[in-house]
Amino acid sequence: MTTTAIPTETQHVPATAPKRRPKREREGAAWVFLSPWVLGAIVLTLLPMAVSLYLSFTDYDLFNPPKWVGLRNYVQMFTEDPRYWRSVVTTVTYVVIAVPLQLALALVVALALKGMKHGKAFYRSAFYAPSLLGASMSIALVWRAVFNDGGTVDNLLGTGGWVNKPGWSLLAVALLTVWQFGAPMVIFLAGLQQIPAELYEAAAVDGAGKWRQFLSVTVPMLSPVLFFNLVLQTIQAFQVFTPAFAVSAGKGGPADSTLVYTMYLYDRGFVASHMGYASAMAWVLLLVIGVVTAVLFRTSRSWVFYASEGDR
Amino acid sequence: MPGHRTKGFCASAAALALCAVLAGCGGSGESAGGGKVVLRYTWWGNPDRAERTEQAVALFEKQHPDVDVTTSFSGYDAYKQKLATQAAGGDAPDVMQLDYRQIDQYASGGVLLDLAKQKAVLRTSEIDQGLLATGRVDDVQYAIPQGRGTETVAYDVGTWKKSGVPLPGKSWTWSQWADTMRALAKKTGKPGATDPGQSEDAFEVWLRGQGKALYTEDGGLGFTADDLTRWWTFTDKLRREGAVSPAEQTTQLDGSVENTPLGRGTSVTDANWDAPASGFLALVKGGVALAPMPSGEDGTPGQYFKPSMFVGVSANTAHPKEAAQLVDFLVNDRQAAKILGASRGIPVNETVRDEIGPQLKDFDKTIADFQASLEGKLKDPPQAPPAGDNALQSTFQRDYDQVSYARMSPREAAENYITEAKAELRS
Repeated sequence: MTTTAIPTETQHVPATAPKRRPKREREGAAWVFLSPWVLGAIVLTLLPMAVSLYLSFTDYDLFNPPKWVGLRNYVQMFTEDPRYWRSVVTTVTYVVIAVPLQLALALVVALALKGMKHGKAFYRSAFYAPSLLGASMSIALVWRAVFNDGGTVDNLLGTGGWVNKPGWSLLAVALLTVWQFGAPMVIFLAGLQQIPAELYEAAAVDGAGKWRQFLSVTVPMLSPVLFFNLVLQTIQAFQVFTPAFAVSAGKGGPADSTLVYTMYLYDRGFVASHMGYASAMAWVLLLVIGVVTAVLFRTSRSWVFYASEGDR
Repeated sequence: MPGHRTKGFCASAAALALCAVLAGCGGSGESAGGGKVVLRYTWWGNPDRAERTEQAVALFEKQHPDVDVTTSFSGYDAYKQKLATQAAGGDAPDVMQLDYRQIDQYASGGVLLDLAKQKAVLRTSEIDQGLLATGRVDDVQYAIPQGRGTETVAYDVGTWKKSGVPLPGKSWTWSQWADTMRALAKKTGKPGATDPGQSEDAFEVWLRGQGKALYTEDGGLGFTADDLTRWWTFTDKLRREGAVSPAEQTTQLDGSVENTPLGRGTSVTDANWDAPASGFLALVKGGVALAPMPSGEDGTPGQYFKPSMFVGVSANTAHPKEAAQLVDFLVNDRQAAKILGASRGIPVNETVRDEIGPQLKDFDKTIADFQASLEGKLKDPPQAPPAGDNALQSTFQRDYDQVSYARMSPREAAENYITEAKAELRS
């Protein structure tokens, strides 16, 4: 039925109309297709965010209606809560350990894979697998068992369980993240394959060895990809929750050593029933991640090299 | 592009239809089960309690063929978080088990049904009036205690006997207890007890033994940083001597008997509540017996009979009558009592208690005998703790972590705790 309608429209309607109407129709169809996502974004993301912004200025214990307290949550956070600052220090430590280690490992493995002649696809999948599994609770629980008293690591190294030692527990959490280097690795690999072979050939002709080639060709050509991975992983690392939660059995312990920011947020909200305070913490985290990302972008001007800029 | 449009519209129509279907699925919750009334009933506890509760619930369903009860349970820590979230979302289970510490918060938050409204099906006449009153807030009966419990030193009988250290008697003071733990550690090569420094409950027993209390009557702190410093100095010393569990083990406590040092076979005793102590039976080969908690140096007992395992009904339940029937069944039914035994403490219904008491067997009898041995010796229980206590329990354990890992002195940690507790109780 509709198929007959279209030709008549295109044939008889004045010249300007066909251009505009199909476009509007296409937009309409686009909105229909987008509607599940848009609805989801509004109902599941934007509305809850708005509510959490409101709650961050209230005292809300889940049971009684929220009470407006202005900036009190924020003031308390910055001036009266030593545990808050401990969680900040723990999180920054975690980011500083986990992100560089993960990226370095991803790059090394990507370089190794790039040089492989056979079985590249297999190893690429094999190294990527932990990233698919790693986000799951079950792997985090296995991780806890591996690093617990009498676990694999304890038996191999005789160090005792890392998860029960305040000096070691955060490292166990960070290693779980590092182990999931698959996503940045795949991106690095794609980036490496984009680098034109003639650059290496030219460098080799000029007498550059492997190391020199890596520093002078690979690193600058790969810097946009490196930057992309750095930003992405940093943002993710600031929000780390599942590994810390599972490895510390939900407590951020021992002695608060794995109490990362989101764990403390969870503790305030769901254990102590201070949803207002937890909301305020969430908004501060959002702002901090925004600032850190902006700083990364600012510094990127001095070290990220875009090949297309070469002409300018 | 004529074809384009048709496909587009078909697809979007399909997408919309799918949305409608999905939305439709969301709304049809309550009426599942072929026209039966469906009740949700949740509790916390160990597998032993779960098994007995399932049996009792099956009996209830047999007696009420039109009611279907779906149950779920978990450990206490996970339970209280999940319940709070459900309650806040207006989705509390129809029938829920509550702790003494939760009643005040849940009642004043409007989560619980006034049980007097269901008097017709929920009998309370046979329950000890003093105990029944502990489920009232502002003179409204929001919950009914299912049992009463008290704290105990559960011990591994086999290991203790083998050590040659004399078995515990009818009472001991904290310093006698400490000496015994040192002796046990020396003879058995493993710590005598779980480090009690992490436990707010044990601290309360110690405080009460000195005539003090955790909270004042108006819900403020009943002790000072000096008191807490003395307690933590006492336990810190025992830990350093190896008489109680090391930090690495103490930090793994999560409210389940499985993760206590006694449950793991790495200590000889554990201070716990008497009903959950039944869980040790499956874990400790040498058998489990119960000794009283240590008392103050002048013999003042610190432990008390605490109304335990309240059961309440959601204010939002669609089936208040059936929910109340289930509560009545759990508290008053003779056959249910036989199945449940002392898994939630000794029954509160006096007729049931007198009737069932002599028939209790195995560990239920151990608990009943233990409570009987304390009858008339203990002081009155404290009033229901203020709402903030819920969070402070874990704060207490966390701050002691700093002491047991030697990151803070007992004094520093105690002062930290007092600051946090005051902030918690203020808000």
